[in-house]
Amino acid sequence: MAWFDRLTVIFAKSISVVSTTLGLGAGETWPGEIALSIRPDIARFLSGKLSDGTILIAGTNGKTTTSLMTKTIFEHIGDTVVHNATGANLLNGIVSSFIRNTDWLGRVTADMGIFEVDENSLPVVLKYITPKRVVLLNLFRDQLDRYGEVDVIVEKWLSALSKLPKTTEVILNSDDPGIASLGRAVKGKVTYFGLNDPSKYLRVGEHATDSIFCYRCGHRLAYDGIYYSHIGSWRCTKCGNKRPLPTVTRGPRPLQGLYNQYNALAAVAIAHSLDIPENEIKKALRGFAPAFGRQEEIQVGKKTVQLFLSKNPAGFNASLKTVLEMGAKDILLVLNDRIPDGRDVSWIWDVDFEMIPPPVRVGVSGDRLYDMAIRIKYADRDMPLSRVYPTLEDAITMSLKKPLKGNALYILATYSGMLDVRKILKGRKIL
Amino acid sequence: MKQSVKIAWLYPDLMSTYGDRGNVVVLQKRAVWRGIAASVVPVTLETNVKMLLGCDVIFMGGAQDRQQKLAGEDFLKHKGPAVKKMVEAGVPALFVCAAYQFVGHYYKPYQGEKIPGAGIFDLYTEHPGDQAKRLIGNVVARVQHPEELAGTTIVGFENHGGQTHLGAKMKPLAKIIKGNGNNGVDGWEGAVYNNAIGSYFHGPLLPKNPAIADWLLEKAIGHLAPLDDSLELAANNAVR
Repeated sequence: MAWFDRLTVIFAKSISVVSTTLGLGAGETWPGEIALSIRPDIARFLSGKLSDGTILIAGTNGKTTTSLMTKTIFEHIGDTVVHNATGANLLNGIVSSFIRNTDWLGRVTADMGIFEVDENSLPVVLKYITPKRVVLLNLFRDQLDRYGEVDVIVEKWLSALSKLPKTTEVILNSDDPGIASLGRAVKGKVTYFGLNDPSKYLRVGEHATDSIFCYRCGHRLAYDGIYYSHIGSWRCTKCGNKRPLPTVTRGPRPLQGLYNQYNALAAVAIAHSLDIPENEIKKALRGFAPAFGRQEEIQVGKKTVQLFLSKNPAGFNASLKTVLEMGAKDILLVLNDRIPDGRDVSWIWDVDFEMIPPPVRVGVSGDRLYDMAIRIKYADRDMPLSRVYPTLEDAITMSLKKPLKGNALYILATYSGMLDVRKILKGRKIL
Repeated sequence: MKQSVKIAWLYPDLMSTYGDRGNVVVLQKRAVWRGIAASVVPVTLETNVKMLLGCDVIFMGGAQDRQQKLAGEDFLKHKGPAVKKMVEAGVPALFVCAAYQFVGHYYKPYQGEKIPGAGIFDLYTEHPGDQAKRLIGNVVARVQHPEELAGTTIVGFENHGGQTHLGAKMKPLAKIIKGNGNNGVDGWEGAVYNNAIGSYFHGPLLPKNPAIADWLLEKAIGHLAPLDDSLELAANNAVR
């Protein structure tokens, strides 16, 4: 019934175009929602039309950046890519991006699909799309009220991966014990990426660690070294389970921060597995521009704002470390508790704000500014009321008004906070 | 008055799911800011019970299933009896989330056998079935017990599937104004026994409720001078 699928696509596309023309908003997800309500398995039809197949990328942190890097590489070698660029990463978002990339006969106009997928949605997406590659980056505690516990996601992924055919290659982070443990469920080829650089080991472990127990026998894991959170060179002293040796360990580093090195390694592993030569990968990633709100540099008059999406303890620690390495002297923290941020802000107590050296000025804003203010106070850092900003506009204006002590104002914000900052500074939330 | 306080943190590596550290940090800083030396004693699987028995305040937090199983076996056998002895002797303690369930008589999952608890608190918890909604969201409640804190408005975030029912020996901690509390039915949140408090306000209960932190500390070391809590109270107010 391919004609009916095509008709569905044309129908959803028409409604989307009419509504955009009338200024009712294009919607990143609802054209897909319409198509899915008519044909629940429409994604199977659409992804089946891609001559070069689909790549799915999932993980708590880094999926937007990794998928953007991957897309950059494949576009560089001449592929036409359909991609969910705005982080619409549930099934309806993926179908919506397909609908945008079809012609008026309902035909898909791309060769390849590269999608980031929400952690909880991966099993359902895999039900309808049989990808060429699945790439799993990491799992950290994130929005416990929405996603549930890390172990529960590992179980769900294990079961979803075990149903994939031999033709799907799975690319896993060897340094995340939970992710690496998924390899045993895979029928097809498994490739591991990871770091081999003991000089980058942390001297003291971070607090926000999740999986420090063996996924095979439950015994406490030992680490030869930890890169960040629970990511490192791990082994079980009881059952002998240990970090698989990664085959992809080196690549270009287009962005700052250790976590971005992992994102780049994942993109390189994908490119390798599809036979893209080393020098082309390098060329493609030269001058790579980060996704919106991820290490995004925004010029405000003569001053620079560096915007870092920071949405969970592991991500926040990584951002903090990176901005301090970049020389941050003025930091503004924006904490919201809306649906996309997670309603529960307890996680800020798992972030190591204690790493901020006292001379650095910290300001706070967002819906839950006082929660953040007390967190900073209990890290024994100066938290005067003059830097507790009830409105985000004031927070940004006042922070930029005084002379900056460092090279930029560094803003670390949760998801909706990041969008609000962009709205204030760039006049628009996304692109 | 004591010049130093030892805070036992039970299973920091296993039962610290979502900001539980906040409670320990707040207890420690609020002592230190008053010139009282405060140390945190991590008590985990390998720790000798003697270390625990030498502590002045006890905290135990939430856990994921797998970690809770590991901690649970150890707690029932080793640390639990010691904690029971300490609570009976009046040592102040705070049990949050999974720990709150675990110090009761038992936890009955929706499938399978009852899981025995340490029996420190006279309460039990039952999971009403996999179709039942988890109780998730911001909570506002008014303290009933301990008496010194009666009338104080406390705020927090709950996220639990189990529903807890108090026995005759327990006093409810607070009356729910907004949210679900112990079981979503009887209107109570948390429980108090001697100087020990249990609560479903998961993770960082104490940062936005400094009165409870000070009450626990005072039970351990005696009267405390007041601190400037304007930021804490602003955060408390923002949730109401």
